[in-house]
Amino acid sequence: MPMYLLRIVFLALLLCSTGTLPALAAVGCGLNDPDRDVPRLFPESTSYLTSYSSIAQRGGESLRKKIENRLGNRYLTLYAPIDAPYTFYEIYRDKKRVGYIHGVNQKGQFGGIQVFVALDLSGRIKTFYLQKITGSSAGKFRDAAFYRKFVGVSLRDFDGFDPASGKGSGRLAEIANPAPELDTDFYGILRGLKKNLILMDEFVFSAPWGKP
Amino acid sequence: MITPFQVACKNLLRKKMRTWLTLIGIMLSSWVLVSLFGFNRGYESALNRDIDNLGCQLMIMAKGCPYEAATLMLQGGQGLRYIEESMVQKIAREPEVERITPILMQAFFDPNKGESGGIAGFYGVEAASFPAMKPFLRFKNGGWFKGESAAEVVMGYEAAELEQREVGDFTLVPEKNVRLKVVGILERTGTQDDGTIFVPLKTLMKISGTDKITTIGITLKKDADQAKLENKLYQLPDLQVVSFSQVKQTIMKLVATARVMVFSIALVALLISMVGVVNTVLMSVLERKQEIGILKTMGAMPRDIFCLVWTETLILCSAGGMLGIAFALIFARVTDLLVRRILPYAPSGGLVEIDAGLALLTLLVIVAVGLASGIYPAWRAGSMRPLESIRSE
Repeated sequence: MPMYLLRIVFLALLLCSTGTLPALAAVGCGLNDPDRDVPRLFPESTSYLTSYSSIAQRGGESLRKKIENRLGNRYLTLYAPIDAPYTFYEIYRDKKRVGYIHGVNQKGQFGGIQVFVALDLSGRIKTFYLQKITGSSAGKFRDAAFYRKFVGVSLRDFDGFDPASGKGSGRLAEIANPAPELDTDFYGILRGLKKNLILMDEFVFSAPWGKP
Repeated sequence: MITPFQVACKNLLRKKMRTWLTLIGIMLSSWVLVSLFGFNRGYESALNRDIDNLGCQLMIMAKGCPYEAATLMLQGGQGLRYIEESMVQKIAREPEVERITPILMQAFFDPNKGESGGIAGFYGVEAASFPAMKPFLRFKNGGWFKGESAAEVVMGYEAAELEQREVGDFTLVPEKNVRLKVVGILERTGTQDDGTIFVPLKTLMKISGTDKITTIGITLKKDADQAKLENKLYQLPDLQVVSFSQVKQTIMKLVATARVMVFSIALVALLISMVGVVNTVLMSVLERKQEIGILKTMGAMPRDIFCLVWTETLILCSAGGMLGIAFALIFARVTDLLVRRILPYAPSGGLVEIDAGLALLTLLVIVAVGLASGIYPAWRAGSMRPLESIRSE
């Protein structure tokens, strides 16, 4: 058998082996039930495509620093090393791409908050969804009326507003905390939204590859 | 001067495709064989490790009560049955018992988890007795509770990851709205402890409004008669005894059935490769009849011809065997994943353990079987009559 054939067979087998190895890194934030959640967040969708990418794959340490600078926070998230995979859902209506869904873990007052955003192709929030939040009055953050206040928000809205301190101006500064006793959660959600938008910008909208 | 080994190599390289195909056949058989041997060894040690990691040999619970967190979650936190805490002291007095620990499992409904709410599970344990059961638990940060009634929690690594908690943070018990301070985060263990939130037993009893427990973990003294203790425990009313050695035996029986089937397949693969070797070498011998005849007329003895042909078999089997072992080592992880998909229960950790001894044993088996297959073609070659061979076409 010619050597080049052997090499091809060996490489194919090696690729199969590494491709099926489970990721040892921390698990990123994914939808609990995408088949149910995607049509709920994107009613016009007919299908979706899931892809995974990490900061390590897309730019490594320099990209992490860039994201942290834009975020104004040294730690992207707890327990998320640079190779933690982020889950991207590309949403399609028939064969046309209509938007994206992406989620992040964010530290909250009594537990982790899982903040998901549904974005249109220009990067504006269509809706967002708190998959998990802990607290006796945390349900107020999951109210549809609260979600609606963020429709149309884009990364530009965070230019004049700091979600870490709550200081600034613009439409985000005008949104009232529906559960004042859970201030950490309120600002955690805002930080989670900003983090989502920055990650989507870095990984999708301003990335040279155009999509995750 | 050319050696018999070089002659054998040259002969094999004459028909490259046939040699490669035979080599691949031997390689596949060797791959299957060494992986099976590795699985045979790895599965049992992984199972033993999992059972050791449970920290106890026996578990006592009320009849019908789930004894592990995953089952509790699947049942939506329902189905818990309780036993009196006084039972702990009663069982601790048994001479076979070395350590004993009471456990209370509780599940609370969290409406803000997922689309329609979810279950948050808590594991009530004693800081005085539980850590001794699980000496392998190491802290990433912090340590065990300061007191048996402290409003504190210790989180497994994955639980802390999901809840984004650090030592010093607070967590909340859903439904009850009780705040608990995180005092310790465990290192990853690869067991169900990674996803567990441990609370002091008395604290969880107070939160749940119960003075009973759900489970008792028992570690036996070394050389204690487990069967004798089990018999005594079976006499206790409304209690079920889960013996992990029995669980292990049941699992091993299930696996043994699968193992017999897979070994049969490996045997068939070995037989096929044997036939392949016989075919390849015999074809090669028949094609070289005239050459063998000339060699004999030049003074080669039957033994020399026999050895020459046998060397070819040896080269084929050694090379194929080594390739198979190399592939088995490279793809041990893939084999592991495949086995996990097939088996009804697969313990954590590596299921396929291949070391140098095992690799050598497999190589010896393959070479021995190959040499046995090479006897007939080598004998045919050795016993050829020189003139008849030269005249043949």
